[in-house]
Amino acid sequence: MSKVNSIISYTVLVIASIVSIFPFLWMIVSSTNRSADVTQGRLLPGSHFFDNLRNLLDTVDLVPALMNSAKISIFTTVLALLIASLAGYGFEIFQSKAKDIVFNILLLSMMIPFAALMVPLFRMFGKISPVAPFLGIDTLTAVVLPTVTTAFLIFFFRQSTKMFPKDILEAGRIDGLNELGIFFRIYVPTMKTTYAAGAIITFMASWNSYLWPLVVLQSPENQTIPLLISNLGSSYSPDFGVIMTAIVIATLPSALIFFIMQKHFVAGMMGSVK
Amino acid sequence: MKKYLALFLVSILLLAACSSGSKTEEASGDSKDTNEITVWAWDPNFNIKALEMAKEAYKAEDSELNVKIVENAQADIIQKLNTSLSSGTTKGLPNIVLIEDYRAQSFLQAYPDMFYELTDSFKAEEFADYKIAPTSLDGKNYGLPFDTGVTGLYFRTDYLEEAGYKVEDLKDMDWNKYIEIGKKVKETTGKHMLTLDPKDLGLIRTMIQSAGSWYLKEDGVTPNLAGNEALKEAFETYKAILDADLVKPVSDWSQFVAGFNSGDVATVPSGNWITASIKAEESQSGKWTVAAQPRLSNNPDSVNASNLGGSSWYVLNVPGKEKAAEFLGKTFGSNVDFYQELNTEIGAIGTYKPAAEGEAYKAADEFFGGQKVITDFAAMTEKIPQVNYGLHTYAIEDILAVEMQNYLKGKDIDKVLEDAQAQAEAQIK
Repeated sequence: MSKVNSIISYTVLVIASIVSIFPFLWMIVSSTNRSADVTQGRLLPGSHFFDNLRNLLDTVDLVPALMNSAKISIFTTVLALLIASLAGYGFEIFQSKAKDIVFNILLLSMMIPFAALMVPLFRMFGKISPVAPFLGIDTLTAVVLPTVTTAFLIFFFRQSTKMFPKDILEAGRIDGLNELGIFFRIYVPTMKTTYAAGAIITFMASWNSYLWPLVVLQSPENQTIPLLISNLGSSYSPDFGVIMTAIVIATLPSALIFFIMQKHFVAGMMGSVK
Repeated sequence: MKKYLALFLVSILLLAACSSGSKTEEASGDSKDTNEITVWAWDPNFNIKALEMAKEAYKAEDSELNVKIVENAQADIIQKLNTSLSSGTTKGLPNIVLIEDYRAQSFLQAYPDMFYELTDSFKAEEFADYKIAPTSLDGKNYGLPFDTGVTGLYFRTDYLEEAGYKVEDLKDMDWNKYIEIGKKVKETTGKHMLTLDPKDLGLIRTMIQSAGSWYLKEDGVTPNLAGNEALKEAFETYKAILDADLVKPVSDWSQFVAGFNSGDVATVPSGNWITASIKAEESQSGKWTVAAQPRLSNNPDSVNASNLGGSSWYVLNVPGKEKAAEFLGKTFGSNVDFYQELNTEIGAIGTYKPAAEGEAYKAADEFFGGQKVITDFAAMTEKIPQVNYGLHTYAIEDILAVEMQNYLKGKDIDKVLEDAQAQAEAQIK
């Protein structure tokens, strides 16, 4: 009986992994083929990867776009983790009557789609531009600021903090640490897995984000990777081999970060569910 | 109690978010260096290259002017323009922007103050007639016409000959003849005639424009579906083509391109801009010809010429607009030599009538068996009936794409168009 069960579960798992892996496989294979082969659905690796890469580097400024995406994603991730973990910690550890109301409002804000906020946000940055050009429209700061923390991330940290042993805090206070000291010296090191999970979520969202960078960045020097890929597909006769090569390159950083932090990520996600 | 309070606060937030952005501030436009203009366009192989050539050509006129060309995907340009214009923020907007003709009126009518009038910058009568309606508003020209979407019927001559027909048989034919040839081609070669994507009614659009009709009445806002004879016949023709089993179904652009690159289909009825994709498969050189698009069989107004896509240049009402208008007027607006270069370098066919007299337009193309393709396209361009694309081309097409499926399943054609009309009227207010 158990053998039958395991056969069934393995069959399901194998099918599920094929379904999840196939797009990646196709992406990688396509990056080595000519555009005409890609459109005809060729599944065998070809020998045109370096041609595609050369064409890609010839037609677009790949490296500056990668740098822009990296700057934005790293700043967003660092700031978001700092702010959201402080907030999540505060919401869980400190007692106040207003706390739950504030937190509920925060959660409700998750229901507002970004598309509804876009025009007012754009207007806001448009008004700031003449006064403070360094954070107005068409700056990387303008991309980072609205996403610098999210209600989801605060919620995520609050849930994880629920299983943080509160007695340690008391011990820290008795030993003379101030509140910030407790946070940075006790809380942060013990919550490493949560930070890793939060970092992956935030970095990926920021690296892949499209709509807001699209409207707020105007000059080509500030272009990010998703915008660059979108432009590659804009032609009447797009070169799919080149596009796939660009997508492979754009996927690498996310994949790398995910693989490095995978162990922590799984642990972090489990922790927040418990 | 808590819940109500939360709800109340969120409503205030939403209201605050919605109430802004009603008036336009002129002042927020930045003080740009007047010797620099910015242009937004899409497609590096076509529009962007055309701009770079225009920039070169303009150096003879004004070597001081720095033209900054920014590449954005078409959907991205629409998103950026809509966000900027609807929030009333001109900061970061370009001086010149390329807009597809089908969408032009929705921008011109929604933000009339934001576009700079070009009536005096070029002579409208020197351009193909059908380009003028979509690019102007209230008798004033706002867009300078660029490329034509003149349609042709690309045909594999080897399949055609195998089926016992000659290229001359394709001359000025109607869709019934097309189906007749298609059946023969299918029989002898086993190849499908064309690819169709059920979501994209481009073929229907070209059919009705060939008869001078459109989804909307001449005012550009009233849906013109129920009782539209051209549309009815287009639907019937579409069904007849499917019923004759001539269609290889596809679901996206890459499959469409693969359809003809792989030799699976015998014809491509499309805009002339598809030439580059057809020629990409070099092994098929000499095996193609371009005929005029078939006309509707029972509609006396229908001609053997139509249009699919095509765009025009617009100048935004921001600092630098005079320079931008002059740049457009002296290049795309009047320079015959420049159009010859455009044609030789990137295969672009403009809608500027005097350009057709130039040498490049008369060149023979070996890929098409020595046919003077550009001359033929230019001649067809002048025959395209003028229609007002109005405001809602794509909104109506979404409705029609669904109703088309109902029709193919057996729903009565008059009922189909009446239902589509009712939905369109409800949606477009």
